[in-house]
Parts: sequence; structure tokens; C-alpha cells
Amino acid sequence: MKAVKSSVKERADAALGDEFLRNAVKFTTERLRSGKLLASEEHGNWELWRERGRQIRLHTVAHLDYYLERFVANARLNGAHVHFASDSAEAVQLALAVAASKKARSVVKSKSMVTEELHLNHALEEQGIEAIETDLGEYIIQLAGETPSHIIIPAIHKNRHQIAELLSKEAGRTLEPDTAVLAGFVRQKLRDKFLEADIGMTGCNFAVAETGSIVLFENEGNARMVSTVPKTQITLMGMERIVPSWDDLEVMATLLPRSATGQKLTVYMSGISGPRRDEDADGPEEMHVIIVDNGRSNQLGDPEFQELLNCIRCGACLNACPVYRHIGGHAYGGTYSGPIGAVLAPSLNRNVAEWDDIANASSLCGACYEACPVKIPLHDMLVYLRRRKVESGHGSKAEAIGMKGFAAVAGGSGRMGAALKLGKIGQKLIAKDGGIRIRLGPLKDWNAFRVTPALPSRSFRDDWGRIRKEAEQAPIFAEADVQQRMRDYLHFRDEGKDGHG
Amino acid sequence: MIAGRMGRGRLTEPPEHPYKGAPDFWNGLEWTAQEKIERFVSQFISVGGHAAYVSTEAEAGAYIAAKAMEMKARTLLRQNQPGLERLSLEARLPQTDIQVWNSREREDWKAVAAAADFCVVEADYGAAYTGSVIVLSDGGKGRSVSLLPAVLIVLMPLSRLFTRMGEVLEKVATGGREGMPAGMHFISGPSRSADIENDLTIGVHGPGIVHVLICGDR
Repeated sequence: MKAVKSSVKERADAALGDEFLRNAVKFTTERLRSGKLLASEEHGNWELWRERGRQIRLHTVAHLDYYLERFVANARLNGAHVHFASDSAEAVQLALAVAASKKARSVVKSKSMVTEELHLNHALEEQGIEAIETDLGEYIIQLAGETPSHIIIPAIHKNRHQIAELLSKEAGRTLEPDTAVLAGFVRQKLRDKFLEADIGMTGCNFAVAETGSIVLFENEGNARMVSTVPKTQITLMGMERIVPSWDDLEVMATLLPRSATGQKLTVYMSGISGPRRDEDADGPEEMHVIIVDNGRSNQLGDPEFQELLNCIRCGACLNACPVYRHIGGHAYGGTYSGPIGAVLAPSLNRNVAEWDDIANASSLCGACYEACPVKIPLHDMLVYLRRRKVESGHGSKAEAIGMKGFAAVAGGSGRMGAALKLGKIGQKLIAKDGGIRIRLGPLKDWNAFRVTPALPSRSFRDDWGRIRKEAEQAPIFAEADVQQRMRDYLHFRDEGKDGHG
Repeated sequence: MIAGRMGRGRLTEPPEHPYKGAPDFWNGLEWTAQEKIERFVSQFISVGGHAAYVSTEAEAGAYIAAKAMEMKARTLLRQNQPGLERLSLEARLPQTDIQVWNSREREDWKAVAAAADFCVVEADYGAAYTGSVIVLSDGGKGRSVSLLPAVLIVLMPLSRLFTRMGEVLEKVATGGREGMPAGMHFISGPSRSADIENDLTIGVHGPGIVHVLICGDR
């Protein structure tokens, strides 16, 4: 695995310097985003579907104990072995124990973000067990020794020449940088791996409580392969993946593919209910489901972050995010990237101080919320994170001093007026054509890419006397109840109850 | 533990779930047979598959045999289903090695599926809106059959083609947990990936050539 640079800013700088990466991420996210918009428009009533999706997720998470218990009971009746893991170490241990009991030498895996959280491949390889990612994109980045940079298109950052180079090394001969040739090689190569593997490992998009089934969405067929061919299946699922019923699954199946790739439905949607039946001639003989907490239960009962558990991992917020589009997934430095990653990483890890510079890598524009099929208020959560960081004493000292200084100046009209007057005189040395361009002191980073506007010769404060007179003479348009709300708010604010964020 | 975090006692009774399933306006959508055929066919073709309507099983049998000959299928694997039996593929394709899933004891059927180049399955259900055929596993119906060979042919009886996915899920789940097959698969086109530079590739792990024949009646 490549070393992760220390701060978001450094990683973002590296990403911004990579022109192919920037163009590739922009192109892909644009394509996915417009696909989603088209698909949701074509389907119609998208807001009603979103609201329904949100209600189902809210309901499920609010009663997670009940539905989880039902899922587990039904899955066991289906013949599956169900295990619980409170953290990543325990989940890895459970998976390794199953592998050991089967004397497994190789594991074929379909795409699973949970196993990325656990760094399971690494743990398997330490035991001498070959772990092979079988999703085309995941296979490519596994060969490159990297991590996914997009939740849906993991190898978004690699071009076909780089991919041809990686695969040629694997093939022992030169492969043309042609998509059909490269995919054809992977099909052939992995086909043998599927047939030889002792264990198939999957993630879980949804788990249906009423029948104890797991549901997988995919386009390539590799998730079907790993859950059909090997004798043992291990499924790793986040504890919040539950939906109560198949009726509810229809809503998720309507929202997920459209939001992720703009498809009406992925090529394959599979419902797997336990190991093979006695009369079946294929399917796994033994099935294990490992239900992973790994920080998820931290969100339960937290009014600001519980809705994070509603996430269906579609990646729509990544595609909508102006920051993600510029810096790509690796700049976020965690398993999950984009707006959801910025909130999920510190919440799962409970280490606000360490992660929160990611929360600052956001413009708070709310495009993520607009895109989210289950309406998670990610932009609000980013503000909560920032607030928690400051409250826990991990704020920036320079910023705190700056804010205190600003409060001292702006807190009195006389001081503010004097400061502006001074500024107007001072800027004569550096302002040109209405802008300040020097790259010194606090303006260094800002002016590297932008121009700071100069103070105008006549400010709003200078004109306030005239504006006030005009405003008083103008008729009042606001409705009575709006005026009442504003008066109430002023009263509320004057009592000092207004918080931040 | 969860109940504790939520600040309440443990739930033993099913909670009220007022927003269960799809919105009401959606559940009223039902197309005519003609609409279902047209919509299914155009959706399936739009994702790179092939779909056609045939009015009789005899016509379906002739179509499949012609495809097998055209693609020079050497080994044809089919599910053990009465609808496929009636296609009389064995008589139509005397040169082809035709295998019937799980029809002999002590055979490695997964290996048979891996070696076959052409497979024929009968869909248990269909959903026209998403252009999906739905196959359920059992003794005579292997999960490998619709997955391992490069060419997949699906016989889709019109009487089992519904409009919405929800209708199908309701049918499958109607018997509760005990009624569920080990594997239920919605198949909505050929296997695909856009993982290399967004360039669409067909037939990555699953079948790259998929034909669906919607069949009117016997």
C-alpha cells in the first residue's frame, strides 16, 4: 500500500497536480451525475421516491435491534452461520477462523467496502491465503497496490495504458491498451480463480429481515460467481444494511442503481437465502454472515449523526461534490471518500481531531444533500464535525485568535469604522484595478488562485443613512407571520440563546 | 446494546411501519400484455441484449436451434424444466452435445456449466419496467447455468411477465422464509463493466450475449 501523505491539503495538492486524474475524475463524475439526473427524471416523482427511501431507512435504523434480530433468526433458520464483530480486528479474526477451518488456500472476493475498512486482504495474505478481488476495477487497483478512489468506479484514476502495463505484467506478455483485450484477459484469468477458490467472499448491499436474505447489486457477474462456485461463502455486512421486507427492498432497488450509475437496475440483483438446499447441484455448501459494527453503533442515538446509518453507498454525493471532482478519492485518505467519507471516517473512528481537516475540505454547498437518494443532510453534519472539533479543544489556535480579534474589531461600530478607514488608506499601496494581488501573510494561499477585492471607496456603512431612509419609506411586503418570526428571532438572539452551526 | 443507545427498552413486538414498500401511486401501475412486451424488448435492447416476441413454443424452439447453429455451439446446457423439454432441442440439434442440469448423479455440474458454451433457461418471472428476467434456483435449476456460459438464452413465458419488480418480489416472498430459494437472480442484460476509462465492456464475467424470447402461449 502506498504511504498516505499527512494532510488533506498535501494530498489534494498532489491530486491537483495530476492532470489525467483531474480530467478522469471530472469526466466520470459528470457522466454518472448526468446519468443519474436522466434516470431519475425518466422514472418520475423522484422526490416522492427519495422521501419514501428516507422514511424506510429512518424507520429501520430507529428499530435496528428488532430487525437485526429478525434477520439473524431467519438467516440461521436458512442454514447460515451468523457471527457478530464489534470491531475490525474481531471481524478479521472471524473470517480467518472460517478460512482456517476450511484449510483454504484461496479466496475470491466481490466488491465490498466493509472489507476495505477491515484491510482483510492483507490479513488473509499474512496467513498465506491468496485473496483475489474479482470486480474488474478492484482487480486493477489490487494489482497496483492501491485503494479505491471512488465507491462505484474504484479505478477511476487509472488510464488504459497504466492498466495495460499492470495486466501485461500479470499475463507475462504484452497486452494492447484496448478495453476489450484487457477485459478479455481478466475474464479468462479470473475464471480459473473462481473455479479453484475455496472461499467466496461478498459484501452485502441489503439484508432482508423477513426472510434472512442478503441482496447484492452488480453488473459484471463476479458477485454471482463468488456466491455460486466456491464451497464456502463468507458475507461481510455492516450492521445497518438491513431492510425490513422485500416490499421495502423494491424502493431501495429503485433508488440505488439510478443514483449510482443511472441504470434502471444493475445487470444482476441477487437475493441469497442461506447455503444450497439438499437437492441443489450448485451454490455454497456452507454460508457465513459476519455482521460488522466497527464504529457504526456510535451513531445510534446521536441526533446529529444517526442519519449517517441511512446511507445506501451509491456514491451520488461524490459525483455531485465540486471538491471531490477536483481532488478525487485518495485525497480524503480513508476508505470512504467524498462528502459521505468526510463525515463517515471521523464518525466510525471516533477520532474527530485526527480526521476533521477532511470536514474542512468542503464548500458546504449542499450539493451532496440534493443528490442523496435518502436525503442525508451531509452538509449539516460537516458543520457539526467542525463544531465538535473546536468544542473538544482541537481548533486551530491561529483561527481562534483571528476570530477573537475580528470580534473585538467588529463588535463596536466605532472600532469597525476606524478599521475600515485605516484599511482604505493602507490598501492604496497594494490595490490595483479594484483588487489586491500580493501573495503575502494571510493572503498568500487565497491570492495564489484568486484576487482579493479591494475595499470600495464608498462602503455600505457610508451609505447607510440614505439606505435607511429609503427603506423606511418603502412599503413593507413581508407577511404578518414572517414579521412575527423575525421579531421572535431578534428576541431570541438578544437573549443570547443562538448557537453556532 | 442497540436499544440502550436508543434510550428505550428492547423491542419484542413488530414496530409500526407506516411507510412500507413503494408509494401507492406506483403500486397501481400495470401495463397491458402488448405494452409489457414492447417495453421489455426496447429496454433489454437498450442495454445491449437481444429480445423478441414469439407466439408459440415451436417458434421459440426453432429460434434457439437456429442461434445455436449460427454460433456453432458445441455444448448446450439447459435447466431441467418442462417448458424447455417441450422445445425439443435434442431433436432440432442432433450434432450438439446437449446436457440437462442435474439430470445424472455423481456429476460435477459446475464443471459441466463451465465447459458449456451455450445455455438455455426458462424464466420464473419477468419485470417489464426494468427489463428483467428472474430465475430461482432448485434441484433442476442451477445458478451456474445462467452465469458461466458465454451465451445465455432465456425463454420468458408471457403469462409470467409482470410490469413492476414489486409484483415479482411479492410472488417470490409470498411463502415467507421457507418458500425462498437459495438463489434468486434478476438478470437485466449482458454482463458489463465501465471500469476501464469508462469504456463499456460487455461480457466481463457473466454471459456477454443474452437473448430473451417472450413466448405467447403453448
